Amino acid sequence: MPAPKIDRALVLHVAKLSSLSLSDAEVDRFASELARIVAHVEQLDALDTRDVPPTAHVQIERMPLREDEVLPGVTHEEALAQAPRVEADGFAVPVYVE
Amino acid sequence: MPPSQDVTEIAVKVQSGELTAEQATERALAQIAAHDGEVHAFLHVAGDHARERARAVDRKRARGEKLGPLAGVPIALKDAICTRGLPSTAGSRILQGYVPPYDATVVTRLLDADAVVIGKTNMDEFAMGSSNENSAFGPVKNPWDVTRTPGGSSGGSAAAVAARMAPCALGSDTGGSIRQPASLTGTVGIKPTYGRVPRYGLIAFASSLDQIGPFATDVRGAARVLSVISGHDPRDATSLDAPVGDLEGACGRSLRGLRVGIPDEYFARGLDAEVEESVRAAIRELEAEGCVLRPVKLPHTLFAVATYYVLATAEASSNLARFDGVRYGLRVDEGKDLRAMYGATRDAGFGPEVKRRILLGTFVLSAGYYDAYYRKAQQVRTLLRRDFDEVLQEVDVVCSPASPTPAFRLGEKVDDPLAMYLNDIYTLPASLAGIPAMSVPCAPTRSGLPVGLQIMARPLDEATMLAVASAWEARNPTRGLAPAMAGRD
Repeated sequence: MPAPKIDRALVLHVAKLSSLSLSDAEVDRFASELARIVAHVEQLDALDTRDVPPTAHVQIERMPLREDEVLPGVTHEEALAQAPRVEADGFAVPVYVE
Repeated sequence: MPPSQDVTEIAVKVQSGELTAEQATERALAQIAAHDGEVHAFLHVAGDHARERARAVDRKRARGEKLGPLAGVPIALKDAICTRGLPSTAGSRILQGYVPPYDATVVTRLLDADAVVIGKTNMDEFAMGSSNENSAFGPVKNPWDVTRTPGGSSGGSAAAVAARMAPCALGSDTGGSIRQPASLTGTVGIKPTYGRVPRYGLIAFASSLDQIGPFATDVRGAARVLSVISGHDPRDATSLDAPVGDLEGACGRSLRGLRVGIPDEYFARGLDAEVEESVRAAIRELEAEGCVLRPVKLPHTLFAVATYYVLATAEASSNLARFDGVRYGLRVDEGKDLRAMYGATRDAGFGPEVKRRILLGTFVLSAGYYDAYYRKAQQVRTLLRRDFDEVLQEVDVVCSPASPTPAFRLGEKVDDPLAMYLNDIYTLPASLAGIPAMSVPCAPTRSGLPVGLQIMARPLDEATMLAVASAWEARNPTRGLAPAMAGRD
């Protein structure tokens, strides 16, 4: 496929997908850095991989599943202890309306 | 008379009562106090915690109970490893002040073996980097030359062991983050087979690649720590159900007839001449030890950097989605809505390299680009694995340099991310293939900078890898060399 143009618009799109609010200076910088890195990655196109299966994970066949048992975990208090904001025994977040 | 500073020596002395765990711990803490202002290997020194723990080990001995294989041995832990009651930041501002409510499995195993955790070590933020300059809390300096990097991302763990602030440490290796800093600091560092050591409690970077492994001052010490932390853990679905075997017993085993592969691709353009000379000299000693040397081909080596930086960043973009300012860590509240809070928190909490990788990883996974980049890289990963599958039928281990250059200067590559990535060329292939690999010191350069010999082996065959490392270590004329601040030579 043709190489995509890594520009400000693409960086802003990807930043939105990543939940990153970037400054203008960051958008410019990442656009030029990512363009160079993606250009390097394009060298993979030189390899014919039509009949090659992808590797998502090595050694998957040696990984047994455990029994589905209920075991003690962190307590409610421990889970909330590090939260930036707690209300009514839960994690509190800003209002969310779509 | 130099103080005992190796893992096995300390453990034997503490078990016999010749040394107390408290004395061993005080010695480590004194070394940290004397030199860490300059080196900055630690993000958190757990002085009181360690003293209390050491006294508990000494009391256990006084009660006549048998002590474990790491009796009283001080150990430093990379800050990506969760420790109950001790800060764990992964070198990131987004986790500043975070104190996990649980221990990683490796920590539980170290404590069961009577080790003493002395602190948490500095690292590139979320283990993303090769020089430690991406730590949100300032870089680590190389104890051999404080104008140079110790490597990364486990640079704090490597520097702590090099400066003898601890005889051993744990790091994590995703694309070379144990082996490269071990090479640059003259320490022994092991990346085990993928799945050998449980990752439960390791703050994730790239889950199909991340492995925890040890650093130590010598091969036997690294083997002992590795045997303590290895083995199946039901809390990590990627942990292998395979016997660990006698890793320490493999040290000292005869190498007669063992076949050692030398890959052309690892002695190519870009390799520093002095590094090549030192590594080739070590390989010649393996021949003198009875090994048979064979040239081998790993033809896809050159594609490892591109493959790795697609796959690792894709996995990272997914793993780091959890840092949202809701349940723990930093929150920047812009007062508007949830999405604004996420964006502001992540922009303030992550450093430039982490953002760069999240953006790249999100891009290669995004609609329209997935097949061209992510799937393509997964296919090339298969080709890289096949390279090793074929070669490791002809030979028992593969030897190479661990890093193309000795320690570079702080600031030298920091403005050129691609140049920094290309520096990982010798460590990335073993990570992508999931095979065990380690770095063991060989002769330093003429200006006195450490060089590492990398040994790679078949999956689960850490024993043969360690046998080769210990045979070379025994013949190494510069064995045990340490920087001036270590207090012995």
